[in-house]
Amino acid sequence: MSVWEELAAGFDTRDLRDLFVPAALYVLATLDSAFVGYREAAGRSALIRKGAYYRRALLRGALWGQAAVGLALLVFAALYVLTGERAAFVGALLEAGRRMLTVYVPYALVVLAAFAVRAAPSVDVRSLTSTLVFGPFLFARPALVAAGVVWGFCAARRWDAAALLLFVLAEMLLLERLLGRLRARRALNRAGEV
Amino acid sequence: MLFGTKEQPEISDEIVSYDPSTLARGRVRKGEVESLFESLGNRRAARIVRSLPERGGFLDPDAVDRLLVNVHCEMQRMSEEFQHGRRVLELLSALVAAVGAKRRLRVVDLGCGTGYVIRWLAACGRVGGRVELIGADYNAALVGEARRLAGEEGLDCSFVVANAFRLAEPADVLLSTGVLHHFRGEALVELFRQHEASRASGFLHFDFQPSPIAPLGSWLFHRIRMRQPLARHDGVLSAVRAHPAPTLLSAARAGAPSFRASMYATRLWGTPIPRAFHAVVGARGEVWERFVRGLGRRAARLDDREGGGAR
Repeated sequence: MSVWEELAAGFDTRDLRDLFVPAALYVLATLDSAFVGYREAAGRSALIRKGAYYRRALLRGALWGQAAVGLALLVFAALYVLTGERAAFVGALLEAGRRMLTVYVPYALVVLAAFAVRAAPSVDVRSLTSTLVFGPFLFARPALVAAGVVWGFCAARRWDAAALLLFVLAEMLLLERLLGRLRARRALNRAGEV
Repeated sequence: MLFGTKEQPEISDEIVSYDPSTLARGRVRKGEVESLFESLGNRRAARIVRSLPERGGFLDPDAVDRLLVNVHCEMQRMSEEFQHGRRVLELLSALVAAVGAKRRLRVVDLGCGTGYVIRWLAACGRVGGRVELIGADYNAALVGEARRLAGEEGLDCSFVVANAFRLAEPADVLLSTGVLHHFRGEALVELFRQHEASRASGFLHFDFQPSPIAPLGSWLFHRIRMRQPLARHDGVLSAVRAHPAPTLLSAARAGAPSFRASMYATRLWGTPIPRAFHAVVGARGEVWERFVRGLGRRAARLDDREGGGAR
């Protein structure tokens, strides 16, 4: 049996939940990285009209998120080839993913709901979303990201799954710093050109 | 995280110096600022000052200016998130309508920094009447950045390195954001005395509102959104040092007795929950009456009791 056939066998495609888990994690990763792009850009432009600036920042974050997902897939592929129990490895990851979703989906829903509330034409309501949701939730994000991974690992309990989860955790926590460094490097290059 | 006393100075106040009459930039001895914060037991502030570049024992003014421009850029994010432009507009448009002169009114933002409020008002274009929007600040680098930003967006406003009370053409309405808490004790009353002596018909000053949760809220906001250690330090200290409503009202009344003054919108929707910012607003005689009428329903948010309690 080839590696691809084995991989396909690991996923029970008749069970939609098996497809739902990686798909939902991918959507959340893209959303999260888009917001990372926004946060990294925020507070760096003092212009008044900067809708386009923030749209570019969201897009840049989402694109770097795709790169992060791609890297995670490479790590997954390497571990898959190395591991002796491929079906068990995939099964463990799916179970870990399900658990991670129980942590990340409610978080994402609250944040998205806050964006909907922020559309209200009241300065006080909009400010409250910052005070009560965006601020505290952003503060809690690193702990929550880690909690999701730990909760997932509790289900997987395999070194190969743990390695992949740790890699994903590092990506989620370090993406904003990476984008900041890239921006600083671009600024240095521009200064050098001047 | 928090500070032992409200009377701690902010770093941004201590790393620059200006001659009050000529506004000439003075040199600041780095060691003296460090020692000041060490003597106050604020080691974090001392560390931040220590990290600043120096030239011959004095703080490098160019590096300080670059830092302050960055800090103001980061602080603008707070104004954006808390919709500060709209809050100013709500009161300013009523005040401008109440002043109602036939000539072009001059609205001057004192201590404008990089001019966020003035630029926002110019960009939204809804102040009403014929209004000239001017930002004034002592710091030439901040004013230069404000001009650059306004120019980049083609905004109809101007910025001057000046004392807002000594402009060649004086202000009709004075406003500020986050400035009042820099004036302590008698200096706050003196600030309002300058309003009294000016030609201004009204004023509108926003600042942090002190409350038991304000320092924690400010710490959380600055911790997650500010990158510069100075912005984090001064941002939290600003919330600690902020004047309560009775202090602002009594200073306004003592310094500017020909103005009617009131606090505006200190509480959220009539609940005991404090807003992050409150405003002290004032206008002379008949302008005040027109202003209150112009506010309509929102006039219920005014509270001229020095004990506070406005909605």
